[in-house]
Amino acid sequence: MHSTKHAPRVLLAKIGLDGHDRGVKVLARSFRDAGIEVIYTGLWQTCEATMHAALQEDVDVVGVSLLSAAHMTVMPEMLRFRKELGVEHIPVVLGGIVPEADYPKLEEMGVAAVFNPGSAIDDIVAKMRQLAAARPKLAIDEIKSGYEKGDPHYLARLLSAIQLEMKLDGWSPPKGNASVIGVTGSPGVGKSSFIARLGHQLRDRGKKVAVVAVDPSSPVTGGALLGDRLRMMTGSPDAGFFMRSLSSGPVQGGLGPHCREIVDALNGFGFDYILVETVGAGQSDVAVRDLTDHIMLLLMPDSGDSVQFSKAGIMEIANCFVVNKSDLVGVEATEAQLRSAVGGDRPIWRVSTIRDEGIEAVTDWAESLR
Amino acid sequence: MSIRPSVNSGQGSANKPDEKPFVGPEDLGAFDHAEALGEPGSFPFTRGPHRTMYRDRLWTMRQFAGFGSADDTNKRFKFLLEKGQTGLSTAFDLPTLMGRDSDDPLALGEVGRCGVAIACLADMRRLFDGIDLAKVSTSMTINAPAAIVLAFYIAVAKEQGVPLDQLRGTLQNDILKEFHAQNEYIFPPVPSFGLVVDTIEYCTRHMPQWNTVSISGYHIREAGSTAAEELAFTLRDGIAYADGAVNRGLAVDEFAPRLSFFFDMHNDFFEEIAKLRAARRIWAHVMRDRFRAKNERSWLLRTHCQTAGVTLTEQQPINNVVRVALQALAGVLGGTQSLHTNSMDETLALPTEEAAKVALRTQQLIAHESNVTQTVDPLAGSYFIEKLTNEIEAKAWAIIDQVDAMGGVLPAIDRGYFRRAIAESAHAQQRAIDAGQQKVIGVTDFVDDDAPSVPTLIITQETEDEQVRRLEELKATRDQAKHAAALKRIHDDAKAGVNMMPALIEGAEADATVGEMAEALKSVFGAYDGGPEW
Ligand SMILES: Nc1nc2c(ncn2[C@@H]2O[C@H](COP(=O)(O)OP(=O)(O)OP(=O)(O)O)[C@@H](O)[C@H]2O)c(=O)[nH]1
Ligand SMILES: [Mg+2]
Repeated sequence: MHSTKHAPRVLLAKIGLDGHDRGVKVLARSFRDAGIEVIYTGLWQTCEATMHAALQEDVDVVGVSLLSAAHMTVMPEMLRFRKELGVEHIPVVLGGIVPEADYPKLEEMGVAAVFNPGSAIDDIVAKMRQLAAARPKLAIDEIKSGYEKGDPHYLARLLSAIQLEMKLDGWSPPKGNASVIGVTGSPGVGKSSFIARLGHQLRDRGKKVAVVAVDPSSPVTGGALLGDRLRMMTGSPDAGFFMRSLSSGPVQGGLGPHCREIVDALNGFGFDYILVETVGAGQSDVAVRDLTDHIMLLLMPDSGDSVQFSKAGIMEIANCFVVNKSDLVGVEATEAQLRSAVGGDRPIWRVSTIRDEGIEAVTDWAESLR
Repeated sequence: MSIRPSVNSGQGSANKPDEKPFVGPEDLGAFDHAEALGEPGSFPFTRGPHRTMYRDRLWTMRQFAGFGSADDTNKRFKFLLEKGQTGLSTAFDLPTLMGRDSDDPLALGEVGRCGVAIACLADMRRLFDGIDLAKVSTSMTINAPAAIVLAFYIAVAKEQGVPLDQLRGTLQNDILKEFHAQNEYIFPPVPSFGLVVDTIEYCTRHMPQWNTVSISGYHIREAGSTAAEELAFTLRDGIAYADGAVNRGLAVDEFAPRLSFFFDMHNDFFEEIAKLRAARRIWAHVMRDRFRAKNERSWLLRTHCQTAGVTLTEQQPINNVVRVALQALAGVLGGTQSLHTNSMDETLALPTEEAAKVALRTQQLIAHESNVTQTVDPLAGSYFIEKLTNEIEAKAWAIIDQVDAMGGVLPAIDRGYFRRAIAESAHAQQRAIDAGQQKVIGVTDFVDDDAPSVPTLIITQETEDEQVRRLEELKATRDQAKHAAALKRIHDDAKAGVNMMPALIEGAEADATVGEMAEALKSVFGAYDGGPEW
């Protein structure tokens, strides 16, 4: 059995308009089964946003999947942004239909490996592990001083150091005064999409925002498919919006093993808001209570959650409620049920993330916390 | 009839080591020939949609490929017309397929690469310059922006003075499989589906000779589904479109004869044949029993098939010719109405001329040398084929029932049902290959030492630059007031929930671009992020 502590982290990206994602999805699942943590950023990404994500996630490898034959245009761009962002220590590999003649050119420009549709998964996995193991380690002092200078790259490295349980020698990040808001709710209610909108509205109001999003990991292999980032990608990256994906590991309660320290590190870095997305296991996501006083429960129409309203657990610890997907039928009924279940003391908002409706009121509330 | 649980490998019809080496009457159980098969050309059409099939009329050999610019494609069309071909196939480039203009930042490097760039009416006009739209049948492989592209086509027809009821052709226009598999979607499922129904309604009323939707399993299978999933998802999508049109107030017999299908022909020879036979049987029952269609033409499932691109290998590419031949033969024995055979190098590049020719010759060999065309449905009555047909049919019905139980296709998309199923099946296939249970000749077994030879793609930047320049010129010189009013109408009509076709045609005529019209719709419909499953 692998431990999450050592699971390599790989970001898989599709660049451009090409929608052929069979290969990248099969790979993501195979990686998970092989004990790798996979962050998939979804379709239609730009090189810049992808490298920016790699920096924040501090992944061990970036894998680009390209079936549109655009590799000789895309890969130089990727490497240019890698340099610009100062993360040349993150290897970039390419998978796709690549003519043999291009292999040496790609290698020369700095692509760490090229895989084609016939490559055996085991070989690809082995290469990922090898690249991850070969990544230069930073001394903790260097990380600390970079972090203290406010460099997001070192923030990302510090978060990894925390996850790897490196010794911080009694050092701890400065105390911050961020508002920490836990966002919980069943799988698929729209937590990530909602956080992305709320985060961007807070950014528009000049606030610095960090997001920590937890997804479950495979209890058998320690690998994980981390999909929350997919909902938060925007074309133009923004240094005031920092996101980190975590796997839950074997820990129950809806958060990962080092969530507290990670939130503290973000807090000390100077963010105004830290939004924490729980695993979404429903009733058992109660660990978030120890992290923050502000717990927001997301619901959606006709989700079947309504019957659980009266049950104890998450309903009790939540202190505000968002009925998401108000564009779907049945939203009135869900909201009415919710109101009668929780009474009038705690705020309830109705929003449609997909249409960007109703979120302002939540942003106002968040602003009022400070 | 007992159904073995499906081994989700997608390439596993039969003859697994644990199965009997041969099949006999006892495996068929109570098999009523008349009920299960009928005769060719009669209900339930298991044996074929027509009585004489290829004896009277061969399938259409439809080789589909893209050629750079509108001008190049126009020349190619004229060449084909001179040679007596009357059907024109249009492949669009990726930006057009995604509803984006040629000058969109994400279009960089993609303009005109895999097909023609049609960003505005002027592009469509150049594509059909000197071609009488009353005399040709045009097939257009486009989905998310299909209504917009159809509007361009209609506008050209109007300019030519061709009455709309004389237009013949096919629009792929199958947005549901984009959500399941191909990922060329723009708006969320509900409004996207609404646009498809708009085109069905519009064509039924104004363009009765137009095939409105080509309901496609091909992309579902290529994305990794099993054969049974391909069959079931496709037919269930068909049911959804029919429901949509009926709910719009159309009578089923008005539009159903203009629905057609598109399936993949994969490696498992007999399973693929059984799939097509089962498809016809299921659809006949769906139309007659579920929709109470009276017109026999509504009951017929007519289909196009294409050999499975995903089975082609970069290693030992000549082997692909053999794969394609076997797959094509399955399509013919399964009774397809038209067929595309892949070129051996097709997954690697746009086909070379030589490779494209061999692909076509493969069909001609089957048609003219093998004699398989002389007896309709020659495999009928084989214990094995009938058992397989029954089995895949039963699996498909079970999946159709599951989707029904979820409330239909759109709610099932909301739950990520299709994408999850396809991703899991694809993953299962990969595991089977990794474990050595599924051989891939030339890749996992019988590997040659010498490195694969892959033809280098030739991509010219000229097409793109020229296209972008022309578009910028158009944007600067068009009648801006008329253009703004047309876009506003698109927005307003979308908001009002009326049929979008008239507004889109007006937009086309006001030189609005595909990207601008898609944006106007997006401002009301929203954009889609792929749903819960990935
Ligand atoms: N119709 C509708 N769909 C929405 C809305 N918000 C989110 N969704 C969709 O819901 C699906 C799930 O969204 P996510 O943001 O990934 O949900 P989540 O709660 O983070 O999911 P997990 O992290 O997997 O538990 C996506 O397909 C979103 O597009 C909304 O307001 N309306
Ligand atoms: Mg999420």
